[in-house]
Amino acid sequence: MRGSWSDIILRLMCGFPAYGARSDRAVDGEEGADAEIGQGGGGIALEYAHVLRLQESLAVSLSLSFRSSGCARSMLFPTVEYAVFFLVVLAIAWPLAKYVTVRKIFLLLASYVFYGLWSWRYVPLLILVSLFAAVMAQAIQRSGDTQRRRRVLVVGVAGCLLVLAYYKYTSFVLLSAMGLWGLVGRAPVWNLPAPFLPLGISFFVFHAISLLGDVYREKLREDLHLLDALLYVAFFPQLIAGPILRASKFIPQLMRPCDATKIRVNRAFLLILAGLFKKVIISNTLATRLVQPVFAAPADFHRGDVLLAIYGYAAEIYCDFSGYTDIATGCAMLLGYRFPRNFNAPYTATDPRDFWQRWHISLSTWLRDYLYIPLGGSRKGTASTYANLMITMLLGGLWHGASWTFVMWGGLQGVFLVGHRVWAGSSSGAVLRLRGRVWWPWVSRVLMFHAVCLGWVFFRSPTFGVADTMLHQLGVSGGATLASWPVVVTLAIGIFGQYAPRMWRRGVEAMMARLPVGVNGLVLALGVFVIEVLGPTGVAPFIYFQF
Amino acid sequence: MRGYQRFSTVKQMSGGMGVFVVLALLLESGGLVNWAQRLELGPERTCALPLVMALHRGVGWMGLEGLRSDAIVELARIGWSDDPEAIAKAREASSAVPEVASASPGSVPKTPPPTMKAKVRVTPTPRLPLQPLVGDPPLLSVLPKIPGVRPGRTRTVALVGDSMMAVGLSSTLLRESPKYEDLELVKVFKSGSGLARPEVFDWQTEYPAMLGAVRPDVVLVAIGANDGQGFVEDGVTYEFGSAEWVAMYERRVEAFLALLEAGGATVVWVELPPMESDAYDARIALINRIDYAVVKSSRKAVWYSTAGLVGDADGQFKAYGEVYGTMARLRKQDGIHLSDDGAVLVAAKLLPWLASQQSSAQIPSRARKLAEP
Repeated sequence: MRGSWSDIILRLMCGFPAYGARSDRAVDGEEGADAEIGQGGGGIALEYAHVLRLQESLAVSLSLSFRSSGCARSMLFPTVEYAVFFLVVLAIAWPLAKYVTVRKIFLLLASYVFYGLWSWRYVPLLILVSLFAAVMAQAIQRSGDTQRRRRVLVVGVAGCLLVLAYYKYTSFVLLSAMGLWGLVGRAPVWNLPAPFLPLGISFFVFHAISLLGDVYREKLREDLHLLDALLYVAFFPQLIAGPILRASKFIPQLMRPCDATKIRVNRAFLLILAGLFKKVIISNTLATRLVQPVFAAPADFHRGDVLLAIYGYAAEIYCDFSGYTDIATGCAMLLGYRFPRNFNAPYTATDPRDFWQRWHISLSTWLRDYLYIPLGGSRKGTASTYANLMITMLLGGLWHGASWTFVMWGGLQGVFLVGHRVWAGSSSGAVLRLRGRVWWPWVSRVLMFHAVCLGWVFFRSPTFGVADTMLHQLGVSGGATLASWPVVVTLAIGIFGQYAPRMWRRGVEAMMARLPVGVNGLVLALGVFVIEVLGPTGVAPFIYFQF
Repeated sequence: MRGYQRFSTVKQMSGGMGVFVVLALLLESGGLVNWAQRLELGPERTCALPLVMALHRGVGWMGLEGLRSDAIVELARIGWSDDPEAIAKAREASSAVPEVASASPGSVPKTPPPTMKAKVRVTPTPRLPLQPLVGDPPLLSVLPKIPGVRPGRTRTVALVGDSMMAVGLSSTLLRESPKYEDLELVKVFKSGSGLARPEVFDWQTEYPAMLGAVRPDVVLVAIGANDGQGFVEDGVTYEFGSAEWVAMYERRVEAFLALLEAGGATVVWVELPPMESDAYDARIALINRIDYAVVKSSRKAVWYSTAGLVGDADGQFKAYGEVYGTMARLRKQDGIHLSDDGAVLVAAKLLPWLASQQSSAQIPSRARKLAEP
């Protein structure tokens, strides 16, 4: 590696003049990845103990399901608490629409309350990170000296990454180092404090970095105000599980008054209903009745159940995260803001590149623009491109969680992407003939889906031992004892629902658009009622909360 | 095609939201009562409960709550729901002959027989503790010999408790148990539950339903992480830690222990480990003392200490420890639950002990290795 640490960080961040003119083209669309908590998936109910501990555990309980146990103070989307909170915010925010600054102050305070109801202890951290990024971004924007802008950018990004590293990777680094030490001798056991992982820290740190990057690259041309920067990082619908907004796209929305005559209420209601359906019914049913039992003790199950559980987790994680995104987008829409699309039927992808253009799009494009391209992207030859892909995906895996299983997952994605590049670049006659077959896209979809599922095994398994047992049990014949009809139905909807034509959704939206808005409210109320009744007891926290 | 887009004004949106709120309140009034009852004691509950109770009474004449509960029971009847309470209601409603569920590893039977009802209830009026608290539990336990099972029969072990059992411990026990012959583990835990708030989750009624036809030989129980709070009973508020609270909680623990022992099972009560937060740890210490006193007063129940396994030399919280010669994180990041590695330290003593009650010769070599310190 050439140069100092500052050069390295700078290179990672921007890939500028020194590394060639920045290209705005969407380089490859490959990258991506997401978060952790994952392992636990579904069963951690909110506990009073957590309340005592300032709700530090993300363990939450229940949801829409009023029948379920636990008493949550955390602001999970499908809770009564969040519904009340959001209605109050909505009722106050719109009368303030004419007073742009006051409205933003109100939304900022509401966002801190939202975060504080999980843990007030970490609200100062959120404020500090966003304030630090805002001050640094302002310094970059006000400086005309290129060198100084670089230095400030480097300090800003390094500061943000240090916060993330301390809270998220201290234990991982320490334990990995001790593991290596153990290979050559008896490693000591230190009883060090283990930092608690603040909720959504990966997301708000990435927002802070996006702010610095966009200002440095002059993507954000408007003068940055402190209030806009703070609200951009802390805006509650995206605060704890994304989607990762671009500063250059969202801050301009904050700067202008919201148009009180252009709210897409029918679309927002549909998004909220779809999100609740995915999370409460699909994701939670699969989590509690299929995925958790198998991943907890895979040795007890045979091929049928294990295969079903792997498919089940593929559907669960998609419905969990895209459900969260839908609700977040719907809530933001009702407040007058637009969020980018985060999922686009990822399991219909025909190849790894296609998959990463459909899965967690806001993160994959973030990694592309702030990591892959600065590393050189595909501009420096084949070997360099492959290396960049691997680095991007390995770090993307690590972003999801401080565990080697996540690194393995990221590595697999990198291998898939590199393998696909080799395949796509092949000029062999047999390959070309194969790709020209009518049925090839469908075979590709099946292959791609199973490649993704292989990755999910490592993503979901707490240890390599569990992943190994899961894969081993695939070879042990046995039926699917957990294939109850609710499991099969939810699994089918979770996976094959992605093949539903977009026109269907548009058709429902068009139908709702023709109805009076009051009827839309009726549809939402009935939908929530049906989802609450159908939902299982004990709704798990969203999988991406702790990433 | 842009026909699917429609823009509304704030006024129109307010109308839509208003319709939603009114209808949601009507449809979900019963659910809101349940929600409010489950809130932690405090201002939020104090404000919310009377409001939603009044709402529920006010809309009772519409019969919507009956619609909701009928729907839940019907869903349980057709097999959609996995809620034991709803399933039990569905069975009562249908008056069908209950089928005997066979216990499969890692699953809880869904068809509870109507025969097993809770016989022990908490005394409504608290008295002073039945016996003086006997102090802090020991750092390490000496596990006594427990009754064996007939040769050729598996020993059924029920894993009971709240998230202290559900997170880390149960999955580790389930993963390790195949190394031991004739040991069958059954999951009967519920995260977010406890003994302090039966209106949230009442083990006295839920446990029999969750257990179904299973008759465990041993019950491993880890519970109480949610119980460091006050509660209300018969309109009286019991502040956490007060003499009345201790008396009431002790009776609930006694009742729970009696429930677990009712089928003749040997109960192994797993101590709640030391917690990272000092304030929370103090509350858990009191709960441990109460649990320990009750278990010690039982002739059959066994106390299993964890402080010496996952705590430091003084039994205090530690985040890291040595597992199989390697430094590992013993606790989840919340500082409350056991990590998988921490649970390995707990399971390493328990499983060989349970297996060895049959015949030491039956313990496989890998299991013996696990049992070694």
